[in-house]
Amino acid sequence: MTMLKINNLHASIDGKEILKGFTLTVNAGEVHAIMGPNGTGKSTLAAVLTGKDGYEVTQGTVEFDGKNLLELEPDERAQQGVFLAFQYPVEIPGVSNANFLKAAVNEIRKSKGQDNIAPNEFLKLMREKMELVEMSKDFISRSVNQGFSGGEKKRNEIFQMAMLDPKLAILDETDSGLDIDALRIVANGVNKLRTKDNAFVVITHYQRLLDYIVPDFVHVMYNGQIVKSGDKSLALELEEKGYDWVKELEIV
Amino acid sequence: MINELENILPSVKNDHQKASLQNAIAIGVPSMKHEEWKYTYYNKILQQGFTPAFVDDQQPSVEKEFIDEYAVSENRIVFVNGVFHNELSQFNSHPKINFWNSNNISESSTKDFLLELNNALATDGVFLEIGDHVVSEELIEIFYIHTNSSAIVNLRNKIKVGKNAQVKLAEYYINYDANPAYSNIVTEIEIAQDAIVELDKIQDAGNLFNITDNTFVKQDRNSVVTVNTFSLTGGITRNVLQFDVNGEHATANMNGLYLLENEEHVDNRTLVNHNVANCESHELYKGILGGKSTGVFNGKIIVKQPAQKTNAFQSNRNLLLSNDANIYTKPQLEIFADDVKCSHGATSSQIEDSELFYLQARGIGKEVARGLLVYAFAAEMVERVKNEKLRNKLQSRIAELLKIEL
Repeated sequence: MTMLKINNLHASIDGKEILKGFTLTVNAGEVHAIMGPNGTGKSTLAAVLTGKDGYEVTQGTVEFDGKNLLELEPDERAQQGVFLAFQYPVEIPGVSNANFLKAAVNEIRKSKGQDNIAPNEFLKLMREKMELVEMSKDFISRSVNQGFSGGEKKRNEIFQMAMLDPKLAILDETDSGLDIDALRIVANGVNKLRTKDNAFVVITHYQRLLDYIVPDFVHVMYNGQIVKSGDKSLALELEEKGYDWVKELEIV
Repeated sequence: MINELENILPSVKNDHQKASLQNAIAIGVPSMKHEEWKYTYYNKILQQGFTPAFVDDQQPSVEKEFIDEYAVSENRIVFVNGVFHNELSQFNSHPKINFWNSNNISESSTKDFLLELNNALATDGVFLEIGDHVVSEELIEIFYIHTNSSAIVNLRNKIKVGKNAQVKLAEYYINYDANPAYSNIVTEIEIAQDAIVELDKIQDAGNLFNITDNTFVKQDRNSVVTVNTFSLTGGITRNVLQFDVNGEHATANMNGLYLLENEEHVDNRTLVNHNVANCESHELYKGILGGKSTGVFNGKIIVKQPAQKTNAFQSNRNLLLSNDANIYTKPQLEIFADDVKCSHGATSSQIEDSELFYLQARGIGKEVARGLLVYAFAAEMVERVKNEKLRNKLQSRIAELLKIEL
């Protein structure tokens, strides 16, 4: 079943066009990897899909579950089941992880006409999902991402994803700055959350993450569009040949 | 105002009061021409129809249950329209805590209109004496209730804390029936050596309640004194807080949170006199300003020549939520000693877009997201209240004012 349908997407920031005709279809149960050199528009794609301010869509459409995603507010997109694991998670001093997630869970439930989650149920859910990414107990009361190491922040993103149980998760360079142990924890978390009903778009610069999160499709992005698609072997090919090879592809 | 003061002059019997009234008349009503009153228009309070007067002793009726809503302890000292209310007050007697009510006036010759006015017209006040070595586990709560009176309520409190004693106090302003109210309160606190004291000022009596408060703290060596001022709702509020750090190795903590909406106005003035060596002062005032509100912060630290090895830190941070809100902030340091560590600073900022987007990306609506971020800014100040019940109460009250659920 088609979940996300991006067609000929053009988007710019401060008048500069970054996405130049990006097209991609993602079905439920699939994992797509998007690779490409720096400055090619990967993070812009994530920002446009989740509704960050400052980006202007000049052409093209994005449908999510048959709805026009582009006309929704960021919180409405999240309520519909779109999740972004941030490349640079934001620190929020003063808001505990528990209060933050309780607000998120309840706002999403409210959008579906459901009552607030019962406190004991919420605590149970938190404990269960914390295990998934090996979070320590004191984490519940700590402020969101404040004083977290790079690895802890990325684990927290996956933990939040587990709590909110989205249909579509976009992982924006979740592997950057992670050592191999943290990478394994993060990847395990993602793998345990994979089902036939959800989908993942994994944005990465390096092939290594894809050893752990095995994609169904690999797309190479360059200059604001996909220049080549293939299966997981494409990632290995890229690693071997480097991105200069991709730049030539575009010229062809 | 001055005419009214002249009119009541003949009826004043007490010599100290008479002298103070004459001083007040000579000084005159504060105007914005005075540097100290540059951003606060005092006449705006008087224009609401308040008059200087001795309030009569007739006690208006206020139900005991009404206080129960606000109180978190069993020690309650209640004043209604500036007069001690015996039935509403209750005090768990402790052999070494002495409490009585008195107007605590004395000879006064300041250059301050409000202090002289208070000394001239104070009808009542708390006199609280905590004996040496007394540790009072329970909070002592003081209530200033106002009900339907156009008289300026003048109360004068005196609090003495003995050697090595520990006590926590809280004061609350309450508007019983939502008529305009104005209280002008002066509190003098003397802290003996090794004592640990916390005073929480809770100003949350609604937009019709105006407050001018002067609190003077003198502390002796090794003592630790914390004053937390929460200005949550109010009309025009002016808090003057002065610390005289008179004994070595003493610590003075001053914390403030002002949460302003509409046309609310809060003016916080603090002065710390570091008179002796080896002391510390820590000051953090945080403001959240929305609507057309105005905040004023003026913090002064004076490190006298003998006060070597002083550590004095002062910070004022403001979060502006609207284009029409104003903050006037002036941190000041005057240092006459040469071996000290002092810092001061002021910031004003807005909610970060990146933080807002992060919350929205998790499904949290923009309004709730804003509320959570503002709450986060305020939360640090509430953490500084040691009494758990009061802290919880403040947390839920601030969440309520910010329209968020915790």
